[in-house]
Amino acid sequence: MKKQSLTNEGTSEGSFSHPALLDVKNISVSFGGIKPVQNVSFSIKENSFTSVIGPNGAGKTTLFNLISGMNKTTSGEILFCGEPIQKIHAHKIAQKGLIRTFQGAKIIRRLTVVENLMMAVQGNPGDNLTGFFRPKSRKFFESKARDEALIRLEQVGLSKFADEYAGILSGGQRKLLDLSRALMASPKLILLDEPFAGVNPTLVEKLLTVLADLRKQQTLTFLLIEHDLETVMNISDRVIVMADGKIIADGLPNSIYENELVVDAYLGSRRKDS
Amino acid sequence: MSAFLQPGFWVFVLALAGIYGIFALGLQIQYGVGGIMNFGHVGMMAVSAYTIAVLVIKYQWSFWWAALLGVVLAALLGALLGLTTLRLSGDYFAIASIAFAEITRYWILNTDSVTGGTQGTLAIPNPLGFGGYTDQPDAILYWISERLYPLFGDEASRDMSMIIIVWPFLFLFIWISSRLQQTSWARVLRATREDDDVARSLGKNVFRFRLQALIIGAVFGGIAGVFWALQFALLAPEDFLRIVTFYGWMILILAGATRVKGLLVAAIFFGFLYGATRFLEFWPLSLLSSPERAYLRVFLIGLVIVLLMVKRPQGLFGKREEMVLE
Repeated sequence: MKKQSLTNEGTSEGSFSHPALLDVKNISVSFGGIKPVQNVSFSIKENSFTSVIGPNGAGKTTLFNLISGMNKTTSGEILFCGEPIQKIHAHKIAQKGLIRTFQGAKIIRRLTVVENLMMAVQGNPGDNLTGFFRPKSRKFFESKARDEALIRLEQVGLSKFADEYAGILSGGQRKLLDLSRALMASPKLILLDEPFAGVNPTLVEKLLTVLADLRKQQTLTFLLIEHDLETVMNISDRVIVMADGKIIADGLPNSIYENELVVDAYLGSRRKDS
Repeated sequence: MSAFLQPGFWVFVLALAGIYGIFALGLQIQYGVGGIMNFGHVGMMAVSAYTIAVLVIKYQWSFWWAALLGVVLAALLGALLGLTTLRLSGDYFAIASIAFAEITRYWILNTDSVTGGTQGTLAIPNPLGFGGYTDQPDAILYWISERLYPLFGDEASRDMSMIIIVWPFLFLFIWISSRLQQTSWARVLRATREDDDVARSLGKNVFRFRLQALIIGAVFGGIAGVFWALQFALLAPEDFLRIVTFYGWMILILAGATRVKGLLVAAIFFGFLYGATRFLEFWPLSLLSSPERAYLRVFLIGLVIVLLMVKRPQGLFGKREEMVLE
């Protein structure tokens, strides 16, 4: 299956005006005989919003796992801010500013909502045991982190749950918490894995508003996995389509609908019927 | 039953509770905070206790330096355990930790020329004669007993002096531990207890946090070993059977794994259970001999753990809502 480039916009070849924040070069992974990601290449510009779509089993989440270091590539190279990251530990990748969320919103149920956010802060002196002997700087940092966390919770309407266990939150609220937590981790690039799945329309609106606000600030770059095409089309600068572990199309959102490979592999009969 | 009315019985219970309280505190940090299921905690106790006995008897070290080295060795053993097996997931690590403690005990059992083997520390080769190792601290214990005598008369025993020494340490360690558990270090560790991936994806080195928790727990295990060695003044390999680790677990479960202050009450309850079974002389237990009744403790402790797991999994002081959050 040959990848069809619909436009140069957003690809590594077309990103002369902005440096590539993330450069994925020909990466593959195999688990036994299964190859969920095969020879995938793309670049992500700073301050862009790119979505990855594709049918179930296309390799989207595995791709996120590879980029975030949760799984290691069998071959290929991943550059983040120009630095190869495919061989370093996941936590070190996150420390560089590449933060991800998970399908199904992994929250820490037995921490409070505000603690979930506070644990994401980078460079907290209290994270080291030596911080125990520096109570003043530790407490100062904690108080600052809590204030920031409360502001984040206010933005997503969760501040009234700040000191409740996160386990009491509904599925949609957990997604909001997951996103807010990622934002607390000083990200440069955020990988969002189906943040809208299973979320009621009101909360989807809320999430989209938060994302739209963040986009206006033009300080963050997003890579999104999502199945809801309407949302993808509205929010993305660029769409990458995957099927069977490969990229089959990559371009502007509107052009995706015109692509035969995409129609066959993903949009399927729905498009043909309409 | 009249034994329960004797002050000496309760003094022994409190002395034992203090030692096991420190022992369980190590497990509390490892499991209650970090979710690390260490079933080999007794290994740390064995290492520090035997280090003291061997160094003092065989090499005439000062008790204090030997105790310090014993705790350091327990910490190193914790580090070694962590470095080699902590990447295993929960259940597998638990099994590996049991093996680790058993290896330690079997090494003690089979290294007669160093540890005295099956005969215990009495058989440690000693160029100077009798193999005691508590002379230096005994002088302090005796000094304390003398000061207590005007207040308590004949009840001012060595056990009572042990209480005076051990309990301040227990309070101090609980205070340190509860302060530690208010830090962001402990918050990250609590997060790893539920989900490694979340912590890793937020830039936290999960392995480092868990290794540190394991080492801190090992230090408390080692310190408990020092007090154990002091309390009993004679060691044998069967003092460090697997069941000892589960005594610590019973205290932890009874207290509520996440509640450090509950350890005090739970440790006293354990001390009572441990010491009391020998004196349960009513029928039908009167049909058993005293040593046989002493072993009832194993049965009772197992029963308490099972009942707690079924009826009150959060322990006496834990929060029920923490257990049901999904």
